[in-house]
Order: sequence, then C-alpha cells, then structure tokens
Amino acid sequence: MPPAGIPPSRALPLKESGLFKEVLHYYEDRQLKKGLKTADAILKKFPKHGETLCMKGLILTHMGRREEGLELVKQGVRFDLTSHICWHVFGLIQKGQKNYEEALKSYTQALRFDKDNMNILRDAAHLQTQLRLYDALVETRHTLLRLRPQLRQNWIALSVAYHLRGDLAESKKVLEQFENIVKNVPDYDVEMSEILLYHIRVLEELSEYTEALALLDTHAKSRMIIDRVAIMEYRARILSKLQSPEAQQAWQGLIEQNPDCYDYYKGFLSSRAIDLDAVTDDIRPGALQILQDFVQQFPRAAAPQRLALSVSTGEQFKELVEPYLRTRLQKGVPSLFTDLKALYRSPEKRDAIESVVHALLDTLAHAPDAPCPSSIDPTVYIWTLYFLAQHHSHLGRHAKALELLDTAIAHTPTLPELYMFRGRVLKRLGDPYGAARWVDQARLLDLQDRFLNARCGKYRLRAGLIDEAVEVFGLFTKKDAVSPAQDLEDMQSLLYLIEEADAQLRNGNHAMALKKYLAIQKVFDDFEDDQFDFHGYSVRKFTINIYLNLLKWEDNLRSHPAYVHAAIAASRILVKLHDDPSMASAASDSHLSGAEKKAKKKAKKAEKKVQEEAKKAPSSTNEDKGLEATAPKDEDPDGTKLLQAPEPLERAAKLLKPLQTLAKSNIEAWVAVYDVAIRRKKYLQAVQALHHAHALQADSPELHVRLVDFKRRCAPNPALRVNMFSDTIGPGSSLSEKPDESVATVVSAFLPKLLPDEMSLEAYNSQFLQKHSTRGDAVLAAAKVSQALGAPREEVEAAVFNVLNADVELDIETAVAVDAFLSEIRSPREEEFRSAAGERFALSTVFVPHAKLPELRKSALHVPNVAEEKEEVIS
Amino acid sequence: MNIRLARVDDLMGMQACNLQNLPENYTLKYYLYHALTWPQLSYVAEEDGKIVGYILAKMEEDVQEGDEPHGHVTSISVLRSYRRLGLAKRLMIQSQEAMATVYKAAYVSLHVRKSNRAALGLYRDTLGFTVKDIEKGYYADGEDAYAMRLSLKDLAR
Repeated sequence: MPPAGIPPSRALPLKESGLFKEVLHYYEDRQLKKGLKTADAILKKFPKHGETLCMKGLILTHMGRREEGLELVKQGVRFDLTSHICWHVFGLIQKGQKNYEEALKSYTQALRFDKDNMNILRDAAHLQTQLRLYDALVETRHTLLRLRPQLRQNWIALSVAYHLRGDLAESKKVLEQFENIVKNVPDYDVEMSEILLYHIRVLEELSEYTEALALLDTHAKSRMIIDRVAIMEYRARILSKLQSPEAQQAWQGLIEQNPDCYDYYKGFLSSRAIDLDAVTDDIRPGALQILQDFVQQFPRAAAPQRLALSVSTGEQFKELVEPYLRTRLQKGVPSLFTDLKALYRSPEKRDAIESVVHALLDTLAHAPDAPCPSSIDPTVYIWTLYFLAQHHSHLGRHAKALELLDTAIAHTPTLPELYMFRGRVLKRLGDPYGAARWVDQARLLDLQDRFLNARCGKYRLRAGLIDEAVEVFGLFTKKDAVSPAQDLEDMQSLLYLIEEADAQLRNGNHAMALKKYLAIQKVFDDFEDDQFDFHGYSVRKFTINIYLNLLKWEDNLRSHPAYVHAAIAASRILVKLHDDPSMASAASDSHLSGAEKKAKKKAKKAEKKVQEEAKKAPSSTNEDKGLEATAPKDEDPDGTKLLQAPEPLERAAKLLKPLQTLAKSNIEAWVAVYDVAIRRKKYLQAVQALHHAHALQADSPELHVRLVDFKRRCAPNPALRVNMFSDTIGPGSSLSEKPDESVATVVSAFLPKLLPDEMSLEAYNSQFLQKHSTRGDAVLAAAKVSQALGAPREEVEAAVFNVLNADVELDIETAVAVDAFLSEIRSPREEEFRSAAGERFALSTVFVPHAKLPELRKSALHVPNVAEEKEEVIS
Repeated sequence: MNIRLARVDDLMGMQACNLQNLPENYTLKYYLYHALTWPQLSYVAEEDGKIVGYILAKMEEDVQEGDEPHGHVTSISVLRSYRRLGLAKRLMIQSQEAMATVYKAAYVSLHVRKSNRAALGLYRDTLGFTVKDIEKGYYADGEDAYAMRLSLKDLAR
C-alpha cells in the first residue's frame, strides 16, 4: 500500500522505490551512466513512472542527448502532474535553456506540491530576480527565512528583495533585526564587513545620513568593517551630504590614499563650496590655489596638475601649460594630445598650447637630413612633431599634419605611433586604403604588440579587406580556435564584430553584415544571462553593494553604443529585406571576387579540419555536459539563412524594442523604430517615433524623409484624408491596410504638429530644401523625397548634384551617401559624381572609378620596405 | 588619467582593453566573477569614460597547506597609447593595498610570459616583484611562465 496522499501511479514497490533513491543519489554525484542504468531498470517494469522518466530525461540532457532528454521529461510530467520532482526537473531543464519564464511556471507548479522545498524555493527566487518579479521575490525570500532563520544569507536575501522592490524602510528593518541576533562574529570577517557596508548604503539611500554616519563610525572603530577605502569613501560622501566641516578632512585622507582619483579632488573642492564642473571667475583663484597646494603635496600625481589646467585661464594657464607640455614631451608621453584635447573647447587655450609647442619645436628643429645635434634630445623632437601633427589634424589641417609626420618619420623611421597616426590622418581624408597601408607598417615595426595588430585589422576592415583583416587578427587569436573570427566572437570582442559588420555592409554583403550584427545581439543576450548565477552567489558571498550595481547595470545594458549601433544597422537590413524580398534569394556570393571565394573555401576547409580533430578527441560517455546547451556548430557560415528567415520586420522590432527606453536621445534609433513600425502598420508607434525624433532635432534630414513617407502611406485613408490631407498623392503610395479610425484620430491629432496640413508634399519638400539649401545632408534628403514623390530621374539627379555647389557644406560621409543614393537609383551619372567628389576631396580615394578599386585594395596591402637600419630606437 | 576602483559598468571597458592588449582573454562573466567576489581589488585607469588601463585581481582561493593567504593578479594592462604615465604601477599599488588591508594578504603573485620582457621589467624593476618559479607550459600555446611574487608584509596593518 502506498503511503497516504501518494497517487497509485507514482507509488513503487519497495525494490524499485529503493532504486529510485539510488537514481537521485547517482544524479547528485554526477554518476550519470549508473543513474541511467538504474532508471532503465525501474522503467522496464514501470514504463509510465513519471518521476523516473523525468530523472532519466534529466540525466540524458546532462549527457548531451538534449532532445531525447527533453522529450522524456515532458512525458514524465504528463504521467504525473502532481509530482514536485517532475515539475522541478522540467523547471531545471527550462532554466538550462534560459527560458526563465517557463522555468518559473514549472517551479511554481512544483511548489504547489511541496511548498517548503528549500532548493525549489531558492531556484524560484533566482528566477524571480532574473525576471524582475520583485513582489513575488519578497514572498519567496520570506518563506525561506521562515524555514531557516539561522542562515545569515536568508536575512540578507530578504533585505535585498525589499531593496529591489523599492522598499528601503523594510530593507533596513530586516538588517537591524539580523544585526540584533547575529552572534559570534569572528575577527576580520569580510562577509560581516560587507553586510554592514550594505546597511550603511540603505541608510544613505533613505537620506538618513546621521544614522548612516553613526553606524559607519561605530563599526569602523570596532573594526567590524575592514574595507578601509570603502570606510573613507562612505565617510567623505556622507559628511559632504551632511555639509559637515569634517568632510574636507575626509576627502584629504582619500587624496592621500590615491592622489590620482578625480572624484576625490571634486569632493574636496565641493567641501569648500567649489563645483569643479562649473568654476566661476570669483571662485577661480581659490580653486586654483587649492589645486596648486595639492600639486606641491603630491608632485608625482598627474590629476591635480591636469585639473589646474582645466580651471585656470589667461596668463595663468600659459604659465601652467608650458611645463606640463615640456615635461611630458621630454618623457615621450604618447597620450599627451588626447589628454589635452578637451581643453580645445576654449580657443584661447587651444592657441596657447599651439604657440607653446611651436616655440618648443623652434628650439629643436634642425636641417632634416642632418643628424640630430648633440645639444638636442631627439626624443623630445620626435614627440613634439607627433603632438603638433595631432593638433593640426584635429583642427582640420591635415596637409600640415602629414608634413610634420613625414619630417618625423624621416628622422626616426622606427616609431610605430608616427605611422599609426599618419594612417589616421589619411582615414580622415577619405583614403582608407592608404590608411590601412600605413597602419600595417606600424604593425610591422613591433610584431609582438597586439594593440598595433588590432589597429591594423581594424583599418583593413575599414578598407573593405575583410579576409586580410581576419588573417592579421589571427596572429594573436587562440591557435586552437575554429577561426580567428570565431575566437574574437567567443571572447565577445564588440570592437571586432562592429567593424566587421560595418565592413560587410559597405561591401554590399547584407547576409554577412546581418550575421555579425546579430552576433553582437547575442553577446548582449549572454551578458544578460551572465547575471543569473550571481542571484545566488552574491547573497552567499554577501557582496551586496556591487551585486545591486550589477542588477542596475543589467537593466540598462542595451544602452551600450555597440548594441544601439548593431540594432539600428540590423533593422535597416531587415527593412530593406522586407521592401525587396528578392535580396534574400539573390546569389549570396555574387559580390565576392575570385580571391575572396578562394579564401573562403580555404577557411571552410580549415574549419572542417578543426572539427574533425575535435571529434577524434576521446570523450567519456559519463562526462557531464551540464544543462546549458553548448554552441552548435555554425550551420550558416555566410549568413544566407539569416537573410532568408521569415518575418524580417518582427525580428527588427524585437531588436529595436530596448532602444525605445534606453536610447531615447538617439534620433537614428527613432527613425529606425519608425521605419519598422510603419511597415508593421503600427501607426501609433510610428507617429510616436516621429514625435520623439522631432523633439530631438526638428530639422533632421532623415526625419524629413520619414514625415513625407508617413503622410504618403496614410493619405489614402479617407478618415485621415478628411481630417488632414488635402493633397493628391503620388504613385505607389496606397496601402492594402489602412489605420483604423480610432488610430486615425490619434494620428490626426499628432501629425499636424509635425507637418503642415494644407500643403502639397512637393511644396513642403521644396520649402525644406530652401530652408537648408547650404547643408549637404539636407540637399540629399530633399532629392530622396522628390524621387519618392515620383519626380523624373534627371530632375532628381540634378537636385542631388547641387551638393557640389560651392556654397553647400559637404563632408566626405555625406558625399559617400550621395554616391550610394545615385547607385541605388541606377543613375548613369554616378561616375560623374564620383569624379567630381574625388576632385573636391583631393586626397581621398573613396571616389575613384569603380574599375580602379581592386588595384587600390591591393595597394593597401603593399608595404614598402621599412628602413633596415634603425637609427634611433624610440619606443 | 583617473585612477579608481573598478565598477560594474567598467567591466566591458576592461574586457575591451584586455582584448586589444593581451593574448589571454576572458568572457565578461570572468570579470563579473572577480568583481562580485572581491569588489575591492580591481582598479581602472579612465579618461573621459574610456578604460585605458586596468588591473583585474583576486585572492587565491585554494591556499596550500603551510602557505599564507595571498592575492593574485589575473590580468593587468594599459593601452599602448597610454604608456609612460606610470599607470600600471599606480593601479598595482591600489590593488595591493586593498589585498593587504581587506584580506590580510601576505604577498601577491602573478604570471608573466617568459618572452614578455617589457612586462617582466615592469614587475621586477618598477614594482619590485621577484621570480619565484618557472611554470612549464603555463600558457595555452605552450609557453612557459615566470611565477612572480611581491611581499605585502609592510602594507599589512
């Protein structure tokens, strides 16, 4: 007879019941093979025993037989819907698949049948945290504390749960209760120290500064808090908030501890009522005096010297900047210009720096061919030239910069920085091929340096030399990786992924570009998953302060520029794909040159070899592969499948979703959101996106294009037409599905604020053009609009050629966009434009005739012989 | 250059910096593990929000019998264009202080590639480390490592 309450289908005879316990033990000891055998023994007699089926499925999953395992688990759950073991196993598997929502549902089921199971409760708490379900989290943590009040972590975890829910007062209460009952704290208990610091943070966030300070002082004195830097930082910060006269001394202590930390100076000055970010003339002398005193006290610290440059003006600045520059040029500090660049916001400071450095150069200059006179330190000479080259290039005087660099390189041909910067100047001039060649030369001067190597790879990507870039990256990636690109992706190198994706896009390979942008999305997904283990770990380690910072960081993760860029760029490709589905079926290799195809074949072969070798490696069948699926092998090496996947717009919308809260001030993001929303017929969202964009930059050319687009797409709707549109509409503007009336009402309420009501779109467009006729990007936008409105091609071409007029501001980027537009509308005048643009940007190479591109690309790889004899080695 | 304690939002910058400088790279989770286990030990050098140098440090977790608690530098590097500012030394000093005061570390250890003369010079001549041992084939590519050490006894308080 089964014990009461156990359904007959679950009850096993004594023998099998013992076997089942063995299965559990084997699983816990990760003796998977034995566990499997034992489970099979039970199933032989009781093939429908749900719990055994689930355990077998779990074991198989650990052994890497994932699909089979999952199937068994599902079966097991079906056979025994009221078993907490079945639901727990199902939850474990779902958690392993990172399907946190479903996992939590399973755990909730499991808890219905075993409400006090600590393991399940703890796992549920982690899932609730991951999903930010803080009300439920508080409840779970309460239950855990009730079950085991003797565990420190259960108290802290409850306090954290309240904190996350925003209930600081409760959080504080729990900590106080905990501290009242805690006993036998050993000396030097790092954990207790962290808990107390957390308590002080809670008080600080409650603005209970006096209490916070008292708690801090008590426990600092008793040495319960042992993190000295934290004590000092908390103390200084809280004293400042209390506006206590003691604050100054506290900040002074921190500066002594670390005289290179800007925050400490800022804190010190604020205790003297000086805001370092807004120094006014009447407090300037006082602020400067304080900083000068610190310079005296800490002559080796750079921070006070540099801060004094920011604060000082006029003659005083000149006096200070001269020795600052001189000592660093003598030392050969490569970052000197980057360090001072921020000061250039003040023209006065900029000019002062220029005259100081030029004066210094005058004392060093000598005939270019003559050897350096012994009175002159060649190092200072070179670094001075290097500084000035950066200075002039920054101010747009690229020719001058090149001249200075050539002098420097003739003098010292062995310093990589000179070559790297020469490459950078060429890049700014629109010559990515020359740039790549020069940076490669820098790399060859120090083959041991990964930094130079990475720069070289990046510049090759900028020149569209993708295989060659990967080859050079491969000199530093892991030798046993499938490929250099895979290693960089596995190591989450966003720098590489972004550059390669952009390069693929410029080369017209949408499939590969999309693949790399989505690889970036995957990196961020992984970053999001990374926090999961810490929900349990940090509470056990009591590193609560930094854990709370982790959660906050995770919540804003996708505001990172790499994600924003990738999401927008990928969404553009997906929108293009929606507009022109033939893109997906177009031969994906058509754009590859013969050499590229060959290289690709070679890479594929190498990849195959690595995989075969991996297969040969001995593998024990008992090996635990864990619950998380390992990365499957790349089934889509050229991204074609990604391009062919269904529902491009839905995928784009998903990518862009986080930007609507995390990249609110990015107009490109709103434009991208609009482009997707309007095609998904989400009219309200489209209008909102336009509104956001409008608020950010009302005269944005990209927005102009979208406003017209929107009006054209909505216009045939009678509901809208009556309200707002009186113009006739060009061809191709009708939609199969129009906004329904309620949406139309909202739209009609919003749109007139963005777009004048009683005006034809043509007139609206020419009005925009007139207003911004001297802006290259606006001229291009207006031409795009008139093309969309059905103007004849010749007219559109003539309009866009206006960017070349003398009174139009045109940068290389816009000229490249113009060229791309001409190519898109298959203009016969494209080469004419390229030739004219090439003349306008005399040192550029991006506008050479298409036929010459292969030759140029080759030239980017050709490195002239570096001078063999190394005269003066400076590095 | 601003030298300060590493925060969670610095870790991606540290990872990027490491990928540009060194052949030993780690996924972000490893940085998170350091920061969330020993939040006092890792420092960054930062300019206008960009991480230009870092020290990623920890305490040794399985201290052998007879050995004392000690810190370990998992990775330290400074971008090439930010060298000669003494950043590595400044970062190291801050981390060492924390190892000694928070965890009572008796010494700090690190590994360096036998071929990396520049780093060896920095650790030995500038920071006062001494070579304790040579670990054969320590690196993934088979290269040997110098195991180096620096006593922190005079920092403990």
